[in-house]
Amino acid sequence: MAKERREIRFILNGSDVRLGEVAAQDTLLDFLRNARRLTGTKEGCAEGDCGACTVLVGRLVKGRLRYETVNACIRFLATLDGCHVVTIEHLRGADGGMHPVQQAMVEAHGSQCGFCTPGIVMSLYALWMQSAAPSDAEIETALQGNLCRCTGYEPIFKAARAAAELGDPAADPLEAERADVTGRLKAMADGARVTVSRGEDRAILPADVADLADVLAKHPEATIVAGATDVGLWVTKFLKPISPAVFVGHLSDLRQVDAKAARLRIGAGASYTDAEAALARAFPHLGPYWKRIAGWQVRNMGTVGGNIANGSPIGDTPPVLIALEAKLHLRSAEGTREIPLEDFFIDYGKQDLRAGEFVEAVEIPLAQEGVRHAAYKVSKRRDEDITAVAAGFALRVENGVIADARLVFGGMAAVPKRAAQAEAALKGQPFDAASFERAAQALAEDFQPLTDWRASAEYRRLVAANLLRRFWAEEGEGAKARLEGV
Amino acid sequence: MAKDEFQSRQFKVVGTRVPRPDGVDKVTGRARYGADITAPGMLTGLCLRSPHAHARIRSIDTSAAEAMKGVKAVVTRADFDVTPESSGNRDVLDNVMAGDKALYDGHTVAAVAATSRSVARAALKAIKVDYEVLPHVTDVDEAMKPDAPVLHEGRQQESVPEGYSQNVLARSQYGHGDVDKGFEEADIVIERHFTTAATHQGYIEPHACLATMGGDGKADLWCCTQGHYHVRDTCAELLGMDTGQLKVTSSEIGGGFGGKTTVFLEPVALMLSRKSGKPVKMTMSREEVLRASGPTASTSVSIKIGARKDGRITAGWGDFRYQNGAFEAMNGALGAMCGFAPYDLENVRTTGWEVVTNRPKAAAYRAPGAPMAAFAVESVVDELAGELGMDPIDFRLMNAADEGTKAAYGPTYPAIGLKSVLEAAKDHPHWNTPLEGENRGRGFAVGFWFNFGGNTSVSLMINGDGTVSLSEGNPDIGGSRASMSMMAAEELGIPYEHVRCVIADTASLGQNDITDGSRVTFAVGLATIKAARHAIDIMKARAARIWGIDEEAVEWVDGAAQPAGPNAGKFEPMTLKEIAALASKTGGPIAGHFEVNAEGAGVSFGAHIADTEVDPETGAVKVLRYTVFQDAGKAVHPDYVEGQMQGGAVQGIGWALNEEYIYGEDGILQNPGYLDYRIPVASDLPMIDTKILEIPNPGHPYGVRGVGETGIVPPLATLANAVSRAAGVRMTSLPMSPPKLLAAIKAAKG
Repeated sequence: MAKERREIRFILNGSDVRLGEVAAQDTLLDFLRNARRLTGTKEGCAEGDCGACTVLVGRLVKGRLRYETVNACIRFLATLDGCHVVTIEHLRGADGGMHPVQQAMVEAHGSQCGFCTPGIVMSLYALWMQSAAPSDAEIETALQGNLCRCTGYEPIFKAARAAAELGDPAADPLEAERADVTGRLKAMADGARVTVSRGEDRAILPADVADLADVLAKHPEATIVAGATDVGLWVTKFLKPISPAVFVGHLSDLRQVDAKAARLRIGAGASYTDAEAALARAFPHLGPYWKRIAGWQVRNMGTVGGNIANGSPIGDTPPVLIALEAKLHLRSAEGTREIPLEDFFIDYGKQDLRAGEFVEAVEIPLAQEGVRHAAYKVSKRRDEDITAVAAGFALRVENGVIADARLVFGGMAAVPKRAAQAEAALKGQPFDAASFERAAQALAEDFQPLTDWRASAEYRRLVAANLLRRFWAEEGEGAKARLEGV
Repeated sequence: MAKDEFQSRQFKVVGTRVPRPDGVDKVTGRARYGADITAPGMLTGLCLRSPHAHARIRSIDTSAAEAMKGVKAVVTRADFDVTPESSGNRDVLDNVMAGDKALYDGHTVAAVAATSRSVARAALKAIKVDYEVLPHVTDVDEAMKPDAPVLHEGRQQESVPEGYSQNVLARSQYGHGDVDKGFEEADIVIERHFTTAATHQGYIEPHACLATMGGDGKADLWCCTQGHYHVRDTCAELLGMDTGQLKVTSSEIGGGFGGKTTVFLEPVALMLSRKSGKPVKMTMSREEVLRASGPTASTSVSIKIGARKDGRITAGWGDFRYQNGAFEAMNGALGAMCGFAPYDLENVRTTGWEVVTNRPKAAAYRAPGAPMAAFAVESVVDELAGELGMDPIDFRLMNAADEGTKAAYGPTYPAIGLKSVLEAAKDHPHWNTPLEGENRGRGFAVGFWFNFGGNTSVSLMINGDGTVSLSEGNPDIGGSRASMSMMAAEELGIPYEHVRCVIADTASLGQNDITDGSRVTFAVGLATIKAARHAIDIMKARAARIWGIDEEAVEWVDGAAQPAGPNAGKFEPMTLKEIAALASKTGGPIAGHFEVNAEGAGVSFGAHIADTEVDPETGAVKVLRYTVFQDAGKAVHPDYVEGQMQGGAVQGIGWALNEEYIYGEDGILQNPGYLDYRIPVASDLPMIDTKILEIPNPGHPYGVRGVGETGIVPPLATLANAVSRAAGVRMTSLPMSPPKLLAAIKAAKG
């Protein structure tokens, strides 16, 4: 067994923190506000929707320190081992005064009531570090996970644009501290398994992937937690115990995203953000789709593996990955196995996952020339919303005939599911409007969706069929029109 | 008191865009909100809430909870041993702690204070409530039917005719003329039925408070509220305390919009503190905020309007059925008053209905009652203009109320800005740029709000160094610390930077009504100006004394006393700073104050234009462009005024397109979280363009009108008119969420 450490170590703003008494469900937000009285970070919803609790978390990625925005309300304290937490109280300008983003927010009247402001400042700060002169689209993306009820966001956009004029990210204090913080974080990393607890409540951070398999073999009942964007709500909203919790987000082996042997491999612990660039490069249709998964903070935390493993029928990634013929790698102390992703989902709340087993990676075949892809998400709002219907389509068209079709839907059944009848209606048929109309009609036999507060069964049926029609309009008629320059 | 009539003047500070006094605290995280303070030995208080929409409480057994280690107090209704004098406060008590019945999902039935949150949670689980579940009703039309489950027996007022359920508490009627005759004279009559869903103000800061009551019965309360004097008065009555023994301090407020105009946690926290002898902090979760604070009324409204071919409206009729949640409120009456207020009508008749249902009691939300009424009336007006082939703005101009018009709700208008607002919209590039493209539509609508005045106290201290400390008693929800400082500086003739305004606690100033009704810039501004004049009078007297001349022979010009009349030029003017420095030698500290029940708040009108695009495959609406026109009387700080106009518009956009309370068949709220109660994010909104008009309010020395609320009145109708045009189907039910819109498009296509 790996050596074990009984405390977590991290840096909070300027200070080193060591904590031994930490329960699995302790959140960063409660720690900041209650234990440290750092009340600049606010609680608005405790479920990662409003962004009032946005802080930066820096972690070492291949030896380099990378800062990302996260929702402190659903970030478990134990997972901060080896990280640098930066709160609003730590922000300052290069001259020690107000930070350029703060200055811009004051001057542009970016606050009215001001309650969302610290979170918005943190999101704009992260944006400014990435792109000091952002486009409106970038600002919109940076603010996806921040709700402001007072302003209508316009003054905040003005502040985001103005911040570039007020200071240079290269001169930012976090840049000046970078070497020091990196050194301190490296010194904290000892390769040990970390176990912390309060009373009976325990959190385990395995030393590596092999150690994870060992831990799960010993604790098959454990709650595996990656990005905690769903499990966080079990705790904050449903008051559900998660001990013993096995946290996996820190395992760099599990976060790898790489393309080799004609496959794109996404480690189960890779966040949506980690996977975004490689996925969008290989499958351009997923670029815009990816940006519509939750908000920025949640994409920095949530993982592709978690989205799959939790088995939700409205997860954003399974339909589009199944359409791409993704394979799932499952691992346990016994060994590994590979299954088609679509076979993983057995029924509502039931997945093909054995005791002690965990999702290790998802692999997508890269050679998909000649295949037309599309990914759609239908929800009440464009950004930061729960999906009503998600769809991933992949069609191989040869000589004007549909040779193969994979039509995968989320939100239409108890699991993410292929539309067998609609696929059959397309296969072997000409690539034309009539075929798609028949497929749209056939969908009625594929699914009996539910009615809930997000959408009615009727709406889901209607919109799913319309997505097929849209696909034809975009890929058939639309492509033709584009070719002809119409 | 006599009104201080508007007098035109040249402003030096008012009307400029000075830096925000609260800006730095807010961007650095230093500003302290409801949940941001602690006290030594503080306990955590939590509420136990009804899981039923309607249930008789047979008994509550708290013994197991009380016996738990770390539990310091358990409170139920039995602890509130008072019968408040007014029916309003009896309802407040019933709302903050259920009596013999739980009336809605989330209604508080007990509360605990414990040494930690986890112990408090465990204690809530240990409380046994024996419920007899009763039939429930959450829909307004259902609740009015004679056979509906009844919430309260014997509360129906005489104004309600026979044949209605006892849930219909009151009916109010407004109007003049003969509507039957008016409809006979019409060439065209349109009648339609509209519904709107309940929405929530959605302030990002959940309710929070910290209560400390000593063994001597004195108590301090810190809370986020729009009216700490109101909190004090209400809590004192519910706790059976002398008002003067309770001091309430308002925290920085993280949004209210009307939703923080009443009490929820505060009396409970005080009772827990009284029982435990310790400070008790209570904070609502987002779920509690949505289930059990005060959302808006949902409505069912019928409107009938007739017009002649020449575009003149001959009659307007409206029936405004509003459910106010579990207790009495007057949203229906407000709707019935506001709906036709923009029009000059010979014949108009409206009826407002106040209906109770098994939902949380509705609270104010920016111009309470008015947006839903405007949605209905302005939709029919839009349709009429279309049928008559008239431009929507011309049609409204032809029928617009003006100075001297007898308003549909009774009074005769003084100078108002409606026609100016309409003309500004008509001349604006937005209106004059054609909207092209498929599935697109432009909408237009107007809105009205009364604006309030009310009880107000202000104190203004001239400090020894010539700076000014200004105290107001209204929580700053829209920039009042800036606007009061500006008006004080203007009146005193000193730089804005020399004034600092704070929100005083309830022990430090006279009574102040709630920050509501868009009253603060008007009423507190008026009191600030008067308090400054009071201080000026004192400073003039001091200068007169120093110079040895009559007080009457001193004038105040540009921040200095100067001799006037026969003494003019005999002495060097003395600046405020110079007079302040000598204060202790000339009679002691100098301070002005003013207390008033302010009247003369001018009504306000706004007009909105929206361009929308509808996705016919998903029913999603994109707002492409949006412009707000509003009469501010005088914009004291234009940035804040624009902020209010934008804020009202975007909240209205959320209301029109996506936000809704969704109750299940079981009477339980289905979407109590931001995850499913969708308020707009940045990408849902266009940049909101604003155009401030300044038609002076005759009732304010600077001409100020309230601006905070009117902005939420037109958007529901504006969006409905735009989307109806874009989708090719008249939308009469809000929100126009994608599922609803797609269904309507499909139904229209047949």
